[in-house]
Amino acid sequence: MEYLSEVFTLPAILTIVLGTFAGVVVGGMPGLTATMAVGLLVPFTYTMDPTLGLMLLGGIYCGAMYGGSIPAILLNTPGTPAAVATALEGYPMARRGEGSVALKTSVIASFMGGTFSIVILLMFAPLLARQALEFGPAETFLLALLGLAGIVSIVDENTSLLKALLSGFLGMIIAVVGTDNMSGGLRYTFGLTDLIDGINFMPALIGLFSMLQMLELAGQREHAPIDTSAINGSQKRAKLPKGLGKYMALGSGTGTVIGILPGEGATIAAFISYNFAKQISKAKHMFGKGNPEGVAAAEAGNNGCVGGSLVPTLTLGIPGNSVAAALMGAFIIHGMIPGPELFTVHADRTYPFILSMFVANFTFLIIGLAFAPYLARIALIPPSVMVPIVSAFAVLGCYALNSSVFDIYLMIAFATFGLLLKKLGYSLEGLILGLILGPIAENGFSQGMIIGRGSPTIFFHSEIAKVMWVIIIALLVPPLLSIARKWRASLRAS
Amino acid sequence: MQKRTFVTGLAGVITLALGGVAPAFAADYPSQPITIIVPSKAGGSTDTTARIFAETAEAKYPGFEFVIDNIGGSGGQKGFETIARAKPDGYTIGMDFTPQLVAHIVSKRGKYTLDSFHVMGNVAEDPGIVAVPKDSKIKTMADLAAAAKGGDLTVAVNGIGSDDFLAAKTFEKEAGVTFNLLPTNGSTEQKAAILGGHVDASFMNLSQMIAQHKAGDAHIIAILTDKRAASAEDIPTAKEEGFNVTMTATRGFVAPAGIDPAIQSKLDDMLAAVMADPEFQKKCAASKIDLLPMSGPDYTRYLENLETSVKAVYDAAPW
Repeated sequence: MEYLSEVFTLPAILTIVLGTFAGVVVGGMPGLTATMAVGLLVPFTYTMDPTLGLMLLGGIYCGAMYGGSIPAILLNTPGTPAAVATALEGYPMARRGEGSVALKTSVIASFMGGTFSIVILLMFAPLLARQALEFGPAETFLLALLGLAGIVSIVDENTSLLKALLSGFLGMIIAVVGTDNMSGGLRYTFGLTDLIDGINFMPALIGLFSMLQMLELAGQREHAPIDTSAINGSQKRAKLPKGLGKYMALGSGTGTVIGILPGEGATIAAFISYNFAKQISKAKHMFGKGNPEGVAAAEAGNNGCVGGSLVPTLTLGIPGNSVAAALMGAFIIHGMIPGPELFTVHADRTYPFILSMFVANFTFLIIGLAFAPYLARIALIPPSVMVPIVSAFAVLGCYALNSSVFDIYLMIAFATFGLLLKKLGYSLEGLILGLILGPIAENGFSQGMIIGRGSPTIFFHSEIAKVMWVIIIALLVPPLLSIARKWRASLRAS
Repeated sequence: MQKRTFVTGLAGVITLALGGVAPAFAADYPSQPITIIVPSKAGGSTDTTARIFAETAEAKYPGFEFVIDNIGGSGGQKGFETIARAKPDGYTIGMDFTPQLVAHIVSKRGKYTLDSFHVMGNVAEDPGIVAVPKDSKIKTMADLAAAAKGGDLTVAVNGIGSDDFLAAKTFEKEAGVTFNLLPTNGSTEQKAAILGGHVDASFMNLSQMIAQHKAGDAHIIAILTDKRAASAEDIPTAKEEGFNVTMTATRGFVAPAGIDPAIQSKLDDMLAAVMADPEFQKKCAASKIDLLPMSGPDYTRYLENLETSVKAVYDAAPW
């Protein structure tokens, strides 16, 4: 309890609020990442009071994870890859004039996911970290497979199973470009140094989301006006649709669990939460067209990773993701070596740090709720103004990430290619799932086969693996059955 | 007025077009900020080293200003190429790290050779180590060799061509064994594999596993340097155990070849002075950076030897 009083001092609160606010801005700007911000600030915290320094960085982490959803919803530009699933539902909502509802859903879901994961971190960290170690390369492969199962549930009246699968494969093929980790050889890099690390995700995503959207907007002869009355009037007090709590809880749990696994990130957590939500939703047909349930699950999922990722980071020194790795540097610089000692010898700093993240979550909740109605007005900007501004930001964001002009070309190529695919009725969601999860699946599979000395039984060996196979099958069967039913019905009709 | 602006502008354009003919005279050097190219992303250990150096040098040498330019990715190749290509006017220097610097030359991927650089000196190192799970039967390097002879051990390394990989290959040759090598995507995966008992051993770097070793979550059986590390006196060297395997990841400064000798010696002297500065040493210690001072000529020899030994491994099994 005495730790709580350390959080509620004026300097502490000011630091946390400042960090969180900065985090929201960093997360919201494509091209700036939380990893970068935390990494650059770590040396500065050396001269600060250690506890305050950690609180500042924790605030940035929490804020940035939420911040990514703001441009995802308003401009179809995910501020971080973790906000991609949010854009899939949030942006269509904003176009419908429900931007304010989408923003509020996202901030409340982020708060729920973040807070839940920190409670877990506070109470069960050492216990869970040991469990997470059971999770090896074979299980990582299955986790990626679980995410890829989402491709099948994309199928709807516009996208056939074949087209959904083809888009997924296409994504995986694009992800093959770069260094083959197992042999060290280069694959399809055409002698370009820029391709040695493979296709950079952020330029690809900015191309497939924001730039493509701008191309489409620019290509429309007449623009369907957004229902402005909704935004100007009642939306200020807009109530959230009922029944979202279930999806937020689902996302919080999924995100926290995936966050705890060493090396697995918020992007995969958001996608898997999103797919779970789609499976249990009564309004399945609304997914992809602006379903707040999707926003709720995805945002709770990626914010759940915040606390989750710190579980292995603080107890074992194995960072849950790249931001957690940078944060670990801040602990080390102050002589707090991750491990059991953090919770005994250094408890007077570790516990206030963990508790401060509750304040950080509360801070962005207030920021988000207060600004939502005003931010939602961004969606009202006419396309003639919006298209050039967003396009400029897309170019700038791509360049800023790695100071690489090549990334700008990459972004434009993806926008053009994506537009073509979309016009031909292929699913971009499948492409993105393949692009993001393909490399994780490949790495897990290859490493599993090496550890298993060439025998695939390793993928069925552990208890975790067996449970994951059950979940994968449970995710695949219902959509496949419904596709088969529709197919038979159409056969009978003809 | 307008005309004058035009003329000034024109002069600027011509200067640019001629590749900045305005000669960098040693006397009025530096007249502009010096760029330090860091071939890795902001926030990493190489980046931190460069930033602490810049901070100290600016405080010690009034008139000197530094700008850090992070060119990350591709195992440093892009950054190394940028340094090699930079104009040798003393306003661009950069950091290098091994064995990547020479590995890119050996694999014929890098568009540079060691001759493209003037080697200023080394700053820091991260020694190689061999780690095993905490309850492993392997307690010494001799145990490791014996176990590898009996059956094939799965051993994790950071990607192909990395320092871990080269060390593992050297040990294989030295002990006459073959590992079932598991390439990973970096130290996080290696740590998880060791702590979770998914592999039998891992070749990695001291900074990556020292915390787990001290906490008893993993066991470091050997350090791959000539002498024991001051920060971990309990860990024996591989040499002590009779295996001539040394590998360390060095981080130093290089400049593009061909800088005016007067300017270059100013920069070299500055590096040596900063390395000797107690404030610099204190800051590096806080950031867990192990210093390994090497003069320009010494570090050049080190790099040349390293290139030869990496080439031997590459020629035996190219990647």
